[in-house]
Amino acid sequence: MSIFIQLLINGLLLGGAYAIISIGLTLIFGVVRVVNFAHGEFLMIGMYAVWLLAQYAGLHPYASAVLVAILLFFFGALMQRLVIQPLLTADAHIQIFATVGVSTALLNLALMVFGADIRKAEVTLGTEQLLVGSLNFVSGQVITLVIAMAVAVGMHMFLKNTYTGRGFRALAQNRVSAALMGVNVNKAYVLAFGIGAGLVGLASGLLAVQYPVFPTVGQYFVLTAFVIVVLGGMGSLPGAVVGSLFIGLIDSLAGYYVGPALKEVVYFLVFLAILIVRPTGLFGLGRGSE
Amino acid sequence: MIKHLKQLTTALACLTVMAAAPTQAQDIKVGALYPFSGGLALLGDESFRGAEMAVEEKNANGGINGKKIVLVKADAVDANQAVGEARRLTSVENVSAIFGSYASGVSSAATQVTELAGVPYFELGAVADTITGRGFKYLFRSNATAKSFADRSIESIFKVIAPTLKVDPKALKIAIIYEDGPYGTLVGGFQKESAKQLGLNVVEAQAYSAKSVDLSSLVLRLKGSGADVVLQTSYQNDTLLFFRQSASAGYKPKAVIGAGGGYSLQETAQALGASIDGVFNVDFPQISMKEDGAPGLKSFVEAYQKRYGTQPRSGHSLVNYVGAKAFLEVMVDAKSSDKDKIRAAALAYKKPVGSSAAGWGFQFGENGQNQLASSNLMQWQGGKLLTVFPESVATAKPIVAK
Repeated sequence: MSIFIQLLINGLLLGGAYAIISIGLTLIFGVVRVVNFAHGEFLMIGMYAVWLLAQYAGLHPYASAVLVAILLFFFGALMQRLVIQPLLTADAHIQIFATVGVSTALLNLALMVFGADIRKAEVTLGTEQLLVGSLNFVSGQVITLVIAMAVAVGMHMFLKNTYTGRGFRALAQNRVSAALMGVNVNKAYVLAFGIGAGLVGLASGLLAVQYPVFPTVGQYFVLTAFVIVVLGGMGSLPGAVVGSLFIGLIDSLAGYYVGPALKEVVYFLVFLAILIVRPTGLFGLGRGSE
Repeated sequence: MIKHLKQLTTALACLTVMAAAPTQAQDIKVGALYPFSGGLALLGDESFRGAEMAVEEKNANGGINGKKIVLVKADAVDANQAVGEARRLTSVENVSAIFGSYASGVSSAATQVTELAGVPYFELGAVADTITGRGFKYLFRSNATAKSFADRSIESIFKVIAPTLKVDPKALKIAIIYEDGPYGTLVGGFQKESAKQLGLNVVEAQAYSAKSVDLSSLVLRLKGSGADVVLQTSYQNDTLLFFRQSASAGYKPKAVIGAGGGYSLQETAQALGASIDGVFNVDFPQISMKEDGAPGLKSFVEAYQKRYGTQPRSGHSLVNYVGAKAFLEVMVDAKSSDKDKIRAAALAYKKPVGSSAAGWGFQFGENGQNQLASSNLMQWQGGKLLTVFPESVATAKPIVAK
């Protein structure tokens, strides 16, 4: 029994790490309607920035998370303004290829600059073992989960209660009508992309405590994040959170009871089953949306 | 008619000159096909450095029968690119031979092309046994294969770990875990086979994705099965994950034996800190060997330091250097760039074990595989990867915590 509870805990904690990445991805997905394949590389850049700040300025990743979030906000906003915006009216495939191009360029740039070595920020805060009865936790994972939930709630309030947030939601429903209702489409897109990327910056600070950084680190997380976003319903915030925890749990339970080699099989099967029953995902907007 | 004849002769003369041009050149072109970019770039480059040093050393000593060797670099990050680059080397650059390739996928694909083109391919670092199992005539491999890694790790349980723990090896519970790519499945597969043959008690044998970001459930399984010895075949990130999550689950096996990959790299040790201490690793010979069993090792390390300004980053440069050096001698012996003469020279090339800087000997089988190459057991002690077995090259005694 204690193993089962430990597995549940491990799953939820892993879900926390996925959630913090997926929230930004689903925002970009939902509002800008662009599949951002460079999302993983944003995470990689963020983690390198965190590592550099830790190495040369002695900043703890948690402290630099805010700085890196701001940095990535501008990075994301620039990418929207310079890469995506000129392609807004182009075919969706073109936009996808543009983000794939950015992803490949960033990955190889990192290889050139940092090489393929792994780098790890040396910290103690966030790596402590917590022992409750026979159950083990790592403090950083708990912190990540808590912050992910707080960010999700914060984003939800922002989308619900502010003018900009309502603009985002209007855009998600229908770009043309939103423009007619007075939403500044280009400005909102730049902002949404920036916020999405900024959240990845926050994630970098949280994850750098647990994981080393290397050029392909983003791809390790982002494939799963894509699954989560589609599973939860593209553009749905609660969907991303529930999806993350769900995938985390499956990962942990299937890894133990089925075997680590087959855990992906299990969660892709569940993923397919859910899509067959609900093609728009768990919290999808339904067939009427754009 | 006469005019035509004149034109024809001029054309023929031109052709003769053109055809003769390459043979007049004083250089021998040799391809160097490695992953220089992408995720494999670090060790690809480290491997290339070894080949580069062997070539520079040979050139300084008069080249191949007086001709200078020129390395033509080719970047192959995956099988597709390997095919393209192998074609370029064989048909555009017209190289006499190719050195490569660190990654088994790259090697398998590139050698398909070179075999058809009849250009000798000298494999210096890829470990998949299948590479030399396809009956190719012009493919030679100097390095030890995955099977040798697996056999050495199992042998270590019998000859090093069990004796130090003073227990019967068959009483130890063994777990074999490996990443589910070609590298892991190959080594892990041979380990399972060999452990079964020798009657070891394997309690868990699990594959996992190297791209996994969580191995906690695997760790819980191992902990539940009470495995004493863990054999892991892994890259860097999954090695780190396994150690970090074992620590957080409170799982401490008596011995962990890696199989190269992530276990051999200084960066892994740095990232793991103190928890790497005492960890075993089976890999190609590294620079931490006794000179007696590996003559020329010291001068290699000195030359490397001088050439690149750092210590070798792994043993890959050493084995590539040793292999390239042997194959350059084969090319000297062949006295020709003819593929069959090179094959004959390679098959006739024999050096006893303990005669090269890697401690290897050379004797090529009909399949082109060097039968006198092996891997060593090493252990991380005080932040350094020291060779502990076999004794002829060991620089330290193995330590196993009881």
